Amino acid sequence: MQYRVTHTTTYTSSEVISVGHNEAWLRPREMPSQICPLYELRIEPEPSIRSTRYDYFGNTVSQFSFNQGYRELKVTSVSEVTLREKSITKESCSPAWEPIASLLRDRATAESLNAYEFVFNSPRVRRSETLQAYALQSFTSKRPIIAALADLLQRFKQDFKFDSTSTNVWTPLEVAFKQRRGVCQDFAHMMIGMLRSIGLAARYNSGYIRTYPPEGKPRLVGADASHAWVSVFCGELGWVDVDPTNNSIPNLEHITVAWGRDYTDVVPIKGVVIGGGHTTMHVGVDVAPLNEEEPTAEGVA
Amino acid sequence: MNARPSSRSRISQTPMKTEADKQQTLRFAYHAPAGCYDELHAADGSIRPHWQLFTEALHHVPEVDFIHRTAQAEQLLSENGVTFNVFGDATQSQRPWRLDLVPFILPADEWRYLEFGLSQRARLLQAIIRDAYSTQGFIKAGLLPAEVLFAHPGYDRTFQGMHRSDAPSMVSYAAELARAPNGRWCVMADRAEAPAGAAFALENRIVASRTLPPQMHRQQVQRLAQFFQRLQNTLKRLGVRQIENPRIVLLSPGPKFPYYFEDVYLARYLGYTLVEGGDLAVRDDRVFLKTLAGLAPVDVILSRGTEGEIDPLELGGGAPHGVPGLMHAIRKGHVTVANTPGCGLIESPVFMAFLPSLCQQCLGEELAIPSIATWWCGQAAQLNYVEAHLQDLVIKPAFQASGGVEFIGANLSATERRDLWTRIRNRPYEYVAQETIARSAIPVWKNDRVSCGHAAVRTFLVADTDGYALMPGGLVRVAATTDPMELSIGAGEGSKDLWVLTDAPVEPISLLGAADQPVALRRTAATFPSRVADDLFWLGQSLDRADFLSRLLRAVFERLTSETELDWPELPTLLRSLADQGQLEPGFTLSEFQSALPTISDALPGAVADRNEVHGISFAVAELLRLASLVRLWISPDTWRKVHDTAETFQSAANSSWTGLVDVLSSLNQLILDLAAVSGLIHDGMIRGPAWRLLDIGRRIERARDVAKLVRCMLADGVIPQKPVLKSLLEVVDCRMTYRSRYLENVQQNAVLDLCLTDETNPRSVVSQLVQLVDHVEALPQDFMTPLRTEEQRLVLAALHGIRQLTQEQLTDPEPRIVNSVLEILDEQLRILADVLTRKYLLHSGTPRQINTEMELS
Repeated sequence: MQYRVTHTTTYTSSEVISVGHNEAWLRPREMPSQICPLYELRIEPEPSIRSTRYDYFGNTVSQFSFNQGYRELKVTSVSEVTLREKSITKESCSPAWEPIASLLRDRATAESLNAYEFVFNSPRVRRSETLQAYALQSFTSKRPIIAALADLLQRFKQDFKFDSTSTNVWTPLEVAFKQRRGVCQDFAHMMIGMLRSIGLAARYNSGYIRTYPPEGKPRLVGADASHAWVSVFCGELGWVDVDPTNNSIPNLEHITVAWGRDYTDVVPIKGVVIGGGHTTMHVGVDVAPLNEEEPTAEGVA
Repeated sequence: MNARPSSRSRISQTPMKTEADKQQTLRFAYHAPAGCYDELHAADGSIRPHWQLFTEALHHVPEVDFIHRTAQAEQLLSENGVTFNVFGDATQSQRPWRLDLVPFILPADEWRYLEFGLSQRARLLQAIIRDAYSTQGFIKAGLLPAEVLFAHPGYDRTFQGMHRSDAPSMVSYAAELARAPNGRWCVMADRAEAPAGAAFALENRIVASRTLPPQMHRQQVQRLAQFFQRLQNTLKRLGVRQIENPRIVLLSPGPKFPYYFEDVYLARYLGYTLVEGGDLAVRDDRVFLKTLAGLAPVDVILSRGTEGEIDPLELGGGAPHGVPGLMHAIRKGHVTVANTPGCGLIESPVFMAFLPSLCQQCLGEELAIPSIATWWCGQAAQLNYVEAHLQDLVIKPAFQASGGVEFIGANLSATERRDLWTRIRNRPYEYVAQETIARSAIPVWKNDRVSCGHAAVRTFLVADTDGYALMPGGLVRVAATTDPMELSIGAGEGSKDLWVLTDAPVEPISLLGAADQPVALRRTAATFPSRVADDLFWLGQSLDRADFLSRLLRAVFERLTSETELDWPELPTLLRSLADQGQLEPGFTLSEFQSALPTISDALPGAVADRNEVHGISFAVAELLRLASLVRLWISPDTWRKVHDTAETFQSAANSSWTGLVDVLSSLNQLILDLAAVSGLIHDGMIRGPAWRLLDIGRRIERARDVAKLVRCMLADGVIPQKPVLKSLLEVVDCRMTYRSRYLENVQQNAVLDLCLTDETNPRSVVSQLVQLVDHVEALPQDFMTPLRTEEQRLVLAALHGIRQLTQEQLTDPEPRIVNSVLEILDEQLRILADVLTRKYLLHSGTPRQINTEMELS
């Protein structure tokens, strides 16, 4: 499955920004199930200097700075991504979850040692007895891990309501859990907290999801958004993605940009500016499927 | 400010002593309690050899003399406090402890052993830091449990890859030592983030050697200067540009942070520019110091603040030592920060539990100096031991630098112990247990006698070409009992100098410059940070703002307090000017002026005293004081004192004693005289360098704009102003006498305007300010030569030409439209000029703030 993703972030300031330093986690990762043969980061105005590096988790970070004044900054990342179908293990065939937790604790393999990092608290996700209790209702004794995850997702879907007005980017996990509302970022953080609270390793994925227009309507270009979901370490099965917002196990519709312990490790764009007065931001994301007959508002080929 | 007698005069003031007084030597009440090591006596009760010379001398020092010298030492320290605690409250001492002149003495061979052991430890800790922030090999090989990094909240993954193998990561390191009852030294805490205390050790040494009785320092004591010289050499080598004189700055978290004193003291002693985050700028991944002459490249940063806040872009936080973009500049290798961010990791006590085995595996050596015995609760066997021995142990968070929270097992109630144990069981890996140690006994001077105290010794190491060098000395703090002592440098009730004896002759070294060497003559200071220039610029503005407003207010108050208050036809215009300047609510100046007068008389004193009105005179005076205190190092002490007294006098009168309009008038009169004295001190005393120019630019811009605004206000009716209005204009601009000497009582519009605007011989006219500004702007340093005028030059020249173009007819015009419009344009030009100068030379426009994505999420 191929997609062209266009992600545009526009900052408009009431006064001139004299100096600005920025970092962006926008380039889709390369991994067995996902390749990104084409990627471009357009920045207007042209920055004084730009470069890229890899962060601790292997994500690509673009850095760019401005010495000349500007009022509007437009950062557009365009990527073409090919997703390969992942083989989905049957729920019942997956290993029981407790041995995976012990595998992590004992760091028996190189993979489990690497995954062990994602068992502990991180800046935005703290483990708790409340989260543990919630998870244990699904993670019953010796239950196969995929089955337990599917059950957790199902319950999560019933208990938590998507509500973009209920939280903002800084709402603590505990608040979102209590009010049972939030957006994908809150949902991902909560689910990570639940899984870590029972000793499993869970990481935060930042990326995009394909959306479908309402029946009979054309797809609206730019109406999509950034998305966040979770990966769980499942022993010999490796990392398995789960999307608490959509109650799904992602396969061909989730494009991974970066992963980390939580949102703080993979903020799409960070900036520090001098000057600027009041700054407003606009984000537009477009996930366009390629090589697929689909009517769109602009008629994407 | 109370003047203090110099030490010389104090000695002469010592009261005459009788022979009997002189005979009375120090009272000795030193008894080391059982169960701790006695630094002074050997097991057989004899004085240990390295103490012998000193104790002998101690027995010959007259008590009065020693008491007197102790007082002298305190005096020197307090003067240092006043000198170096530049921006803080002068009455608040930043020194946490008294100085005890009786030193802690150690023999040369023991010190050599400590140097060997602590250097080994420093190499080991550096290896751990480098491994943690690169391959994590120690975890992979099982030498360190994975939790030690993965569960460590201080393991900041942003520092990954920043530790190079070809340069020291941990340039400076401090080890907190105690001597156990068996005589072995042991490390209580490691400090590597920005180790504090070396400057206090140096200060103790300098003060003690100046004040100790001569018979007491006949011994060969090793100098501290060589340590600081090593630090200088190491930092110099770290300069990326490999030039003879790399620019090294000391990056401080600023005056609001404890131990700012050390930053100032060290910066002076080492000869580095003291900067805060706002003084540095990252451009194209390189770090620069913002100076008046433009951006000056910085090679090495000696960082004294927390490493987790040095770059608000990558690390967040809003600390005063944060520099946006700094991390990337370090990664690119364009600047070196010492210590490399990430070193703070090893301050947490969890590492102590693994040092012996890591030392074996990693250095192939036995760990020479043990840490305080430490058990990490994350391993079952150790956890069991801790449970069984909780009573005798101290429990600490495993991942916080030692010195914070701790629970002393013996002091806990049964319930507290149970609660603590539950917490440990839940997250065992987050705790360590350590044994307690009875610190060794040392002689201290306390309550006028030599008695016994217990020593905490902080030692300092610096990376050298091959390994580490230990400061031959250290910071000793003393506790009264053997109870566990806090591990911060502020702990303890007294502090003392640490003497390391030597068998070899001591080479004289000092960083304070060789005596009697002529120096190269200079006309400028080395670097002039933009932040200081900015403060001076605003200081100049506040000074003239206060002067102008006090004259305008005086004109109003003189009229309001006269008997015939209704006979002043110019009063409405003056009040409108006050409103125009923002000192008075505009409502007061509208129609029915006569009936509003009593209300104005009631409201004005309050408006004058209101410090929150940013256009008012009280605000200007408060700003004057604030800004002057920030630039105290750049103006003369007398100027500072005069500004201080001026503001104090005015503010205390405004706060309390104004009971009527006459009181305000007399305060205004006093203020005008006081401000003139400040101006005089600046004019007569200040070196004509960039500091003076910036200050004067601020003054000139303010004065030209204020006068122009006043004139426009008086012409605003569109008719020829009445003669009393013109007269009051002369009065506020302070040229009544000149006018009378030229034209007698014949008040004419053209002559008044000429004197206030276009007369280049009148130092208070608008044109005179512009002439000076042209000169100042020409003299400001330029980044590069350009054949054309710069923006600021064009602005000030345009303003000057505008004024010079005014004709006799335009000044005489009964409807002075042209004058009005010239002044309006001039006001705008000067406003832009201030902006341009600020952007180009001063703060490079403001404080950084973070803009993070607020995602629109699906």
